[in-house]
Amino acid sequence: MPIIGIPRALYYFHYHPLWSRYLEELGFEVTFSPPTNKEILEWGLLACVDGACLPLKAYIGHALALSKAGVDLLFVPELIGVWKREFICTSFLGLPDLLKQYLPSSTTLLSPPLDGRKGQRALARCYWRFGLTYAPIMKVKSSWGQALNVQRDFEQSSREQNLNVPGGRLKLLVLAPRYLIDDPFLNGNLLAHLKDLGVVVLTPEQISDASGHQSNLSLVKPFFWSGARRSIGAFEHFFDQIDGVINLLPFACGAQSLLSVVVEQRAIEKGVPTLDLALDEHTSELGTLTRLEAFCDLLERRKAQ
Amino acid sequence: MKITFPHLGNTYISIEALLEGLGHEPITPPLGSKRTLELGSELGPELICLPFKIVLGNMLEGIDLGAAGVWMIGGWGPCRLGYYGEVQRILLEKAGREVDFFLLEMPRGNMVKTRGLVSRIFGNTKPRTLWSGSQLAWAKLEAMEYLENLALKTRPLEQSAGLTTKILNTHLRKLRRAQSIKTIKVLMEEGHKDFLDIRRAKGHSDTLKVAFVGEIYTVIEPLANLNLEQRLGELGVEVVRTISLKKWVQDHIFKKIIGRSHLSPLKRSAQGYLNTFVGGHGLESVAHSVDSAKANIHGVIQILPVACMPEIIAQGILPQVSLDYNLPIMSLVVDEHSSETGFQTRLEAFVDLLERQVYAHA
Repeated sequence: MPIIGIPRALYYFHYHPLWSRYLEELGFEVTFSPPTNKEILEWGLLACVDGACLPLKAYIGHALALSKAGVDLLFVPELIGVWKREFICTSFLGLPDLLKQYLPSSTTLLSPPLDGRKGQRALARCYWRFGLTYAPIMKVKSSWGQALNVQRDFEQSSREQNLNVPGGRLKLLVLAPRYLIDDPFLNGNLLAHLKDLGVVVLTPEQISDASGHQSNLSLVKPFFWSGARRSIGAFEHFFDQIDGVINLLPFACGAQSLLSVVVEQRAIEKGVPTLDLALDEHTSELGTLTRLEAFCDLLERRKAQ
Repeated sequence: MKITFPHLGNTYISIEALLEGLGHEPITPPLGSKRTLELGSELGPELICLPFKIVLGNMLEGIDLGAAGVWMIGGWGPCRLGYYGEVQRILLEKAGREVDFFLLEMPRGNMVKTRGLVSRIFGNTKPRTLWSGSQLAWAKLEAMEYLENLALKTRPLEQSAGLTTKILNTHLRKLRRAQSIKTIKVLMEEGHKDFLDIRRAKGHSDTLKVAFVGEIYTVIEPLANLNLEQRLGELGVEVVRTISLKKWVQDHIFKKIIGRSHLSPLKRSAQGYLNTFVGGHGLESVAHSVDSAKANIHGVIQILPVACMPEIIAQGILPQVSLDYNLPIMSLVVDEHSSETGFQTRLEAFVDLLERQVYAHA
């Protein structure tokens, strides 16, 4: 069985159950790069163009880690969109072409274009087309069905996470792309710190795609990036349950900084305090912690009044 | 209605004509300066790219001149530019500047809103002035690019520094005042003759050629690229523009309406380096660099604002193009802190390198 590697960064965090199950069913042996660590990030930082955002640099590091571990086949899909009439961030469109520059020529990339801009069926067809090169049609369809089930369970469980936790000192909504929230190394252990501070954390992954879509359409101008649409949807859904919002801004992430302006405006209207936290490879964990503590103290005082 | 709009190089000449044709009064903001940038950076989010900040600065200066409405283009991705207008509207509102915001884009969904926008734009328009206004605007756009391109060719050959720029500015001023297509034609001929005179005075025309690729706003707006075209010209280099506004309008508005794509020739050129449209001008940057190598151009300069994702992808790929075709490519990243001296030094070093390479082969 050929071994295929999936870098543990970016859209891995959204789709790893789907991708790994689908590829396994198609006859690959799937392996992941280790969770982000100092060395991996260093490789990415050294190789990648300076101006790229932190998660993208980490992705390059992960791909290099796999390649250094002797994996010659990588699954790097060319993600264009995952929802109707929406894009995901532009940097991932050219990702396979960019990545090729940094990997040894012996490494092969499997990069099927995944384009869901015409709806979920079109997206599924992209996966099938990719699958057909490795298995007959019946096998592809059954593999896809199984993979989709695993993915649904995964999304269901992330939706329910933390939702019904009683108590907690405060409840905060953290707005950021999932690949930042789920990677403790990149976000400086943000979630663990918040937990230590007695905060229950909600994230954009806790609403369904459809409900995010509805509140997006009610904006003066709807967002056309899936990540931003999800975030604004989560804010509209949770604003009456939360004590505050934390906007994570990875360095050079334009979508997130535009979103923060829109969220801030809505938050002022609804009377919800917000905190913007910029993140890059030089961010110190202690500095972030101090800001979090101060924010939580303020929120608590506000709540007591 | 008094309407202001962001600057993009000299396009204000054409936009003024269009707005007048529509029955509005154009309020052209002062040409971009340090103040524009300061105003924009102050109000805008920190991590957004330079064009956003300059454009916002233009709007603020235009509103200070008494504009009651703002024109801005929109879009539906993947480039972030599509959402800039909306965020700028929110920020202007936050700063207490109540204006009528016109976000010009393909309508999507909300028909009530679209109809409102259309009626606000065409409210006072007479069909006859609209026709002549848009004709005039188009002719001015064409003439403007014609003159600018001639100036790029002429500047490296000028005998006294600054002469070309002076002549160009005189002609642009006349073009701004021109009220008929006939005058514009005459102006173009005059310009052609004037520039030819300068070139003839020099005699030979052996110059280094550098193609200019990158993000369209930074390529065209001199405030964003610190007058790169003029600097290079004065170093004796002919700048070849790969981006034309006229073509941009044709590609993104006219071709889109009839449902045709402008991407296939670009994809053919960039084959093997970048195979997808990445938004903005990322694909163009790679494709035009490859084309330049084949067209015997001596070097390529890519210019991009900090945090411009499409161009960053291109920036990552261009070194490979450079290696494969033995073509020097320099990427320049600009933001509100770019220093002119640092910029000039890098340009001079690049030109030195080109000279050595070209004349060593000759």
